Amino acid sequence: MTTTTPRIVTVRQNILKENDRTAAGNRAAFRAAGVRAINLASSPGAGKTALLERTLRDLTGSVRMGVAVGDLATENDAARLRQWGSQAEQIVTGTVCHLDADMVRAVLPRFDLPRLDVLFLENVGNLVCPSSYDLGEAARAVLISTTEGEDKPLKYPTMFNTADVVVITKMDLADAVGFDRELCRENIDRARPGVPVIELSSRSGAGLDAWFAFVRGESV
Amino acid sequence: MHEASIALSLIDVASEVLRENGGARASALTVRVGAWSSVVPQALTAAFPACAQGTPLEGARLNVVTVPGVGECPTHGPVTLDLKGGLRCPQCGAPTPTLLQGDELELDEIELLEPQPEGS
Repeated sequence: MTTTTPRIVTVRQNILKENDRTAAGNRAAFRAAGVRAINLASSPGAGKTALLERTLRDLTGSVRMGVAVGDLATENDAARLRQWGSQAEQIVTGTVCHLDADMVRAVLPRFDLPRLDVLFLENVGNLVCPSSYDLGEAARAVLISTTEGEDKPLKYPTMFNTADVVVITKMDLADAVGFDRELCRENIDRARPGVPVIELSSRSGAGLDAWFAFVRGESV
Repeated sequence: MHEASIALSLIDVASEVLRENGGARASALTVRVGAWSSVVPQALTAAFPACAQGTPLEGARLNVVTVPGVGECPTHGPVTLDLKGGLRCPQCGAPTPTLLQGDELELDEIELLEPQPEGS
């Protein structure tokens, strides 16, 4: 016959420490291979895949690129990206709304990392959950399109707060949808003071030079 | 909504602590969730019981302590930040780019249940 008595143990440990440990491993693998890994996050439909298509189209020949793209279902995005000649691997997350470091670790053996300069990690379209998960990337780009509303950075501050660069996409539609550029930039700066902002259009090509500089790891 | 994923990670961390401390089960967990952590306390509390089924954490009470954001204003020092206002001093509007606290997502403490000989 035994009784039980409670005992309090102080832990103070990060709940995502296992993810962070795996992310550190990914980061070490990227560094060893000389690959710049870029995590792209945005809401669904902000233009992540379109921007990557344009990037692959324009930079193939000068930058060796690969893409790992996360979606809940389908291989559609990987198929779209492969047509430009770079390797693109789909990560099907099932019901999970974000990429985590272990999903990225699992896909890395499919790439010949030393033969790449840049590996894009296209996250699941979602402005909440991906912010919690370090993938081991060198830089995180958060996209917002002109059609989404200028207050997105204030509605989803935790995502924008982790950005190394914020990209405003679909600038070719800015006038048509009455996009308030100054207000959007002010809101971005509120969520992430001092973060570099790039305005571009994947369709027209305007503003892509600054994005390409970021991709190469040059200052924006 | 990634709170189920967070709950599963929490259970992994807590189970490891139980093993290290020789505890068979836990009766309560306290976690600290920052306002800037992207985790909704209510959703985490809702997801936890189902995720804990069949683990040593089954039936444990989950206490969530919300940690407000605090930034450093050049003029006003440490200031409490409102998520809606972004990283700006609520008094003067100056940017406060670095969070001193408020991005936590951590298991703070566990209440272990351990067998004890009767009469001790």
